[in-house]
Amino acid sequence: MGLIVSIILIIVALALAFFLVQMAGLLALVGIIIGGVLVGFGVHFVPVGGAPAAMGQAPGIATGVAMLAAGAGLAGLFGGAWAAPLGFPLALAGGAIGGGLLMAITCTMVNVVYIFGMGIPAASGKVDKDPITGDTFPEYKSQGTEGHGLPFISWVGGVVGGALGGLGGTLIYLELLEVYQAQMPALFGASVEQIAPIAVSLAGVFAIGMFLMNAVLAAYNITGTIEGPHDPKFKRFPRAIIAAAAASAVAGIFAIGLLELLGVF
Amino acid sequence: MAVKIEVGAGGVPHNQILIYGLVGSIILIYLTYLNEVTNTEYFAFFGGLACVAALVWGADTIKHLCSYGLGTGVPSAGMIALGSGVIAALFGATTGVFAPIVAIIVAAIIGAVCGLLANHVVRMDIPVMVVSLTELAVVGAISVLGLIAMVGGTFNFMDLITGTTVVLGFTVQSYGTSVIGGSIVALIFMLAAIAIQHAFNACLGPNEMQDRTLMLAAECGFLSMIPIAVISFAFIAFVPALISLLVSLIGWFYTYMRYIELSKRDAYAWLDAQPILEPKGGA
Amino acid sequence: MEEIIFGIGITALAGALATIAGAAEDTESDIGSQGDPNSQVQLAPQMGYIHRIFNKAIAGEPPAYGLWVALGAGLAWAFMAMQINPILAIVLGSALAVFVQGVYATTAYLGRTASLAKFEQPVYIDILKSMTTVTMAHAFVAIFAAVAMCHLIISALGHPFPLPLLGLVWGIALGAAGSATGNPFYGKERQYQEQKFGAGVPISASGNIVRYAEAGERNSLDNGFFSAKLGGPASGICFGLIVFFELWRTVVFEPIAAGWGAVIVGVVVILIFAIIDRYIEVWARKTFGPYVAPEEASS
Repeated sequence: MGLIVSIILIIVALALAFFLVQMAGLLALVGIIIGGVLVGFGVHFVPVGGAPAAMGQAPGIATGVAMLAAGAGLAGLFGGAWAAPLGFPLALAGGAIGGGLLMAITCTMVNVVYIFGMGIPAASGKVDKDPITGDTFPEYKSQGTEGHGLPFISWVGGVVGGALGGLGGTLIYLELLEVYQAQMPALFGASVEQIAPIAVSLAGVFAIGMFLMNAVLAAYNITGTIEGPHDPKFKRFPRAIIAAAAASAVAGIFAIGLLELLGVF
Repeated sequence: MAVKIEVGAGGVPHNQILIYGLVGSIILIYLTYLNEVTNTEYFAFFGGLACVAALVWGADTIKHLCSYGLGTGVPSAGMIALGSGVIAALFGATTGVFAPIVAIIVAAIIGAVCGLLANHVVRMDIPVMVVSLTELAVVGAISVLGLIAMVGGTFNFMDLITGTTVVLGFTVQSYGTSVIGGSIVALIFMLAAIAIQHAFNACLGPNEMQDRTLMLAAECGFLSMIPIAVISFAFIAFVPALISLLVSLIGWFYTYMRYIELSKRDAYAWLDAQPILEPKGGA
Repeated sequence: MEEIIFGIGITALAGALATIAGAAEDTESDIGSQGDPNSQVQLAPQMGYIHRIFNKAIAGEPPAYGLWVALGAGLAWAFMAMQINPILAIVLGSALAVFVQGVYATTAYLGRTASLAKFEQPVYIDILKSMTTVTMAHAFVAIFAAVAMCHLIISALGHPFPLPLLGLVWGIALGAAGSATGNPFYGKERQYQEQKFGAGVPISASGNIVRYAEAGERNSLDNGFFSAKLGGPASGICFGLIVFFELWRTVVFEPIAAGWGAVIVGVVVILIFAIIDRYIEVWARKTFGPYVAPEEASS
């Protein structure tokens, strides 16, 4: 039932986008949907242990999953927005690298604190063997805990998740920026440079808003905590992808059609 | 071990708060329209009051939603509410005098879709999910629109994107110094996102009392008005901004004192510089 | 060339400011028990352990710092729009943002503690009097440094985002870096310092946090001094490295290969961190060895 409703919502939104802003609007909405899906998918990679991780009771990073993903995604948005004048592919790459870089440094520092501050080696609670390095975990796991620290697979997951989040956030931002920069100069009788602050602000705020919507929906999907791509919960990601696509389509159509009603009333 | 979220029982029924919050905030937000009618800016502070009314309602909604246990913290509900709300509020702002109504309708659509997706696609299966996320998105939209009206003196999109700046003594029009062009909306987004969830997040526990939680929600609303009133000095005339600042300071001080009284009423003991009292049963 | 040298100087300065911001952020949140270690401060009275530790539950650190920094940046932006000099504007903006932070901190402590009346946890108002000011002071350092960094990025390096939006972006990143790095050190190593060193806290010990100090009863200022030893500086290095590498790769390498230089350098930096992480992980496994159960029967 949910799947059918989602597909109908996406089709209706796409049709509306085509009707309102023609082909450019349709392509922009497709970009926003892909961006939202990337955000929702990326959240599943980010190893987050929530409150138990702060006591070394569960592996992962000790903070909220939606918020950590937002930190990485928005750092990516910073890089992507900066590189926007250099063209689409470069801006997307800049966004992905920005998000990945934040997670790479953060995950490394988490292990630094675990190892040099608390003397605890990393151990996963969900799998016995690291799928990448082949390290075994059960003998390193402290009694009465579900594991602790960040095994290498979680580190890789964090970087991939951050990069996907940064890529998705930047894609949403760039698509909206393009729509506004195409419409606003004619509407307000100003040059592209003059309206730049408004276009950048609106695209930035909407990108952050949609990013958080998708990240929270994905966080609901994994009920708050996940170890990374090796966690059994990771297999739930198709649901989050459908949810993120439909939510981005509905929110995106209002963001794209923002200026359509201006001056009507 | 996660903290179990418990809430107190009793108090005013939620539907009553919903109606008061919705109707009250719409009336208050329309009172800022007196600015356009009378061609002044003295009525800007009503936007902030609309935000307070909406936040009180939103805090009660969050309490209902989060008592089901979402798996993630209470703050995430505030984030999804404002994420949908900010899009609806700015979309609404482009429709002139119909702005609050359009914003509410758009927010309800986005919120309902998020709720349906959370329940039927992500399979949360929380009975109040759809209704709650719809309400929260509406609260988010009203809060953003109210604070925008307070800081800019209007909720009309065309006035929000143009500002004035002084260059060498001359006043010139500029898009960069406007409410939207300066991204004050980003700040409003975050102010409301924290305010909407703080009341319940700060008061959760077995002895949570509805009147104390809602008083804290009102306090958060007035507290959010203070920096907005300060920023509004950059956009509207001096006297209207001063009125906004005074209204928010008085409202904040009253609600803060009331909140401390209510906390004193509900606390087990109110001690100053006393040692740890071990519980009677022993630790 | 001169432009690049100027850019490198700004990058270094921004990185230094970010380091200060990160260190102050983590110390501030640990004094208030904000973020994930908060769950244990909240849980302790329910397990019968009444304590005198500040319970400052204001959302998580990333959204809270997103607000404080965006607030400081928004107010600074407004003051600058009123023709106030930028340094004064940033100081005033940060001061007002800290006022909001302080009020949120007091309401969070009162609310959480009053709601624990069933477990006989009293409200100690001297905690509010002595510790709110300390967290506000640390928060001021963090907010001022972060807003100043954002202002530098815009005015000297030409980032297109307006100041409040950039403040929101870096504020959330600051909270994410600080809470990820600093929380375990406070949560495990300080709250549960009586538990076995070099191992996670068993779930059965949850809530049994350390409540007494060397002399007298532990308060949150003792936690601030503990965090300042490692958790705070580590968070500072984390956030400083993030800001530094993000700016450095763009400022220095963007002119190379039509902009792709910055992307390639970013990938190289990520790979270097992968090697560092793997090295210390293997080092820890070799040096610390597998888990050994403690001698006593149970904790």
